Amino acid sequence: MNKYIGIAGTNSPSSTNKKLVEYIQRHFANEAEIEIISIAELPVFYKVPGRVLPERVSVISKKIAESDGVIISTPEYDHSAPAVLMNALEWLSYGSHPFVGKPVMVVGASYGTLGASRAQAHVRQILDSPELQARIMPSSEFLVDHSLGIFDENGNLNNDEKITRLNELFKDFETFVEISKNLNNTIKANKELAENYTWEDDEEGK
Amino acid sequence: MMKFVGIVGTIAEKSYNRKLLEYIVKHYTEIAEIEMLDIKDVPMFNASKDQTNSEVIQNLNNKILAADGVILVTPEHNHTTTAAMKSVLEWLSFNVHPFENKPVLIVGASYFSQGSSRAQLSLRQILDSPGVNALVMPGNEFLLGNVKEAFDDNGELKDERTAGFLGSVLEKFAKWVEVLKALNTKEKEETSWEDEDLTAAGAVDTTVRGVDPDADDWVELAAQKTKAAQKKEYVKLNSGLLTVDQLNWFLNSMPMELTYADDNNQFIYYNHTKPGKEMLAPREPEQTGSPISKVHPDRARDGVKKTIHALRTGETDLVKMPVPGNQINERYLMHYYKAMHDEEGNYRGVNEWVLDMWPIVKAYLEQTGQKLVKDENAQDVIASASKHEEAKVEENIETKVNTSEEPRLDEGIDSVTGASE
Ligand SMILES: Cc1cc2nc3c(=O)[nH]c(=O)nc-3n(C[C@@H](O)[C@@H](O)[C@H](O)COP(=O)(O)O)c2cc1C
Ligand SMILES: Cc1cc2nc3c(=O)[nH]c(=O)nc-3n(C[C@H](O)[C@H](O)[C@H](O)COP(=O)(O)O)c2cc1C
Repeated sequence: MNKYIGIAGTNSPSSTNKKLVEYIQRHFANEAEIEIISIAELPVFYKVPGRVLPERVSVISKKIAESDGVIISTPEYDHSAPAVLMNALEWLSYGSHPFVGKPVMVVGASYGTLGASRAQAHVRQILDSPELQARIMPSSEFLVDHSLGIFDENGNLNNDEKITRLNELFKDFETFVEISKNLNNTIKANKELAENYTWEDDEEGK
Repeated sequence: MMKFVGIVGTIAEKSYNRKLLEYIVKHYTEIAEIEMLDIKDVPMFNASKDQTNSEVIQNLNNKILAADGVILVTPEHNHTTTAAMKSVLEWLSFNVHPFENKPVLIVGASYFSQGSSRAQLSLRQILDSPGVNALVMPGNEFLLGNVKEAFDDNGELKDERTAGFLGSVLEKFAKWVEVLKALNTKEKEETSWEDEDLTAAGAVDTTVRGVDPDADDWVELAAQKTKAAQKKEYVKLNSGLLTVDQLNWFLNSMPMELTYADDNNQFIYYNHTKPGKEMLAPREPEQTGSPISKVHPDRARDGVKKTIHALRTGETDLVKMPVPGNQINERYLMHYYKAMHDEEGNYRGVNEWVLDMWPIVKAYLEQTGQKLVKDENAQDVIASASKHEEAKVEENIETKVNTSEEPRLDEGIDSVTGASE
């Protein structure tokens, strides 16, 4: 059974994206072990002199590095990913590079009709940047619109079409993860590239 | 002079983007006065924990509201703008929206040749979203690539062409802001006097929030809230320096009653020297802070709205009118309503003064050895006072500073700001 990390891009306890990740965790409990980690408590990112990472960042980084893949559910704020998610991705591309080559599935929920489509595109763009270089599952949008009304009292999706789509996507993701395990020729090089992608010189980080 | 504010999308002290903004602030003083706003203490945006009322968010909100334009300077992290910048924008698109229709210039610097191009693009998209709704200057991009080599030890841009280009971008921005302003003023002129909000429900950058405008001790409460200068503390004025005490002595010895109503139609000051009963236009200290609607009788409302609207839109700069019940050659009270403007010509409120003209005229006649005679051709101004009130309000407003025609009496506009009954 594969081990995945689930992240809701939010610090709001009432987030529907948080509900979505929790639903995914329960719904696929027989297929995979999904651990949900919170990014709510991270400080605002800045280039820490000497690249000393906050304890919490190191913990999250290690969990991601050890996982088989990551599922990110993003809200949409101002047509883009929330600052709190951007912030986590900044911390996780600075001094450690757990996302390099890591299979990632991006999903998202919004109150309106568009299902956080623009935020999802934004997250994909971020994950594709040189210091993250995640393996984003292609052609796999999962858009949850009108998210305030899509969960029943038990926190389960109440829409069959959405559930079917999610089931299919998850199967594909499992396959994608397996394929990715074999796509390992570039990983080492990419990792080195990310680590040496000296956005910072050492004199910078002293 | 244009006023801009600038925000750098980082909380780190060491930042090339901060250097870039410092350079802009220093070098383009002829184009605009630019204030750098700090975002170091802005908490991470949290939709479940509203901190809009915190000092730091309020300060950003007010400064942006008051500015003619905003310069956003963005580093690039992971092919997008920074979380630090985004968090600020989320706060400012949540329960307050200072960016609404605010002209914005985006610039940025990065270590590589792309010069923050992707961060700028994503910032543009964010600023365009409906909650933010800024007006981002089209077309122009200033990307400072390879920024580690760009500045010398004194913070000067090494490459003259780069410096020159930056100057031209800033100039274009200032021009664009001017054009937008002209458009807006036009729009404003088309607003109706009926829209004038005498209840002061809105707010302007000087509005003291969180203090009940109707409180009897509004002055004390607002002073505490703003940590206002007092007594022996000095206040720097544009051509002088006075203590608060001196300012009071000065204003209290003016030969007229002065009242200040701000551009939000809030009555915030009068030179208090006597009890209300003894004043030409009675006012009480407890009224200070109240909206204009609360300090004059309802029947005067439309006239007041028309007067303020005319001053606000620049239709006229001064409205003057005698009060009802004046006695020829004995006592002749006049109310003057003068529009106040800031350095850029924005309307900032009404200066109302009330005085009795007769002692001045009398002294003049005595000193020059003359006397008054009635003009046989003049229409009887007093007699026409009670007819066609509505029409006359408008005529009064049209009576500009230089017209020789005596403004006619009108009950409708007896006092814009003061409590006249
Ligand atoms: C986590 C992280 C990600 C970065 N990603 C980028 C990037 O995608 N593109 C880029 O040009 N610079 C990137 N950089 C380097 C930037 O910090 C640098 O280009 C920046 O714009 C310099 O601005 P500053 O000195 O004001 O912080 C990254 C730095 C960090 C710490
Ligand atoms: C500052 C702010 C900006 C928002 N911008 C958007 C937006 O651009 N598009 C959208 O669909 N919802 C927007 N929303 C509404 C919801 O927060 C959003 O739909 C979100 O994806 C819901 O996810 P959540 O329940 O996990 O918070 C915004 C909310 C806030 C507080």
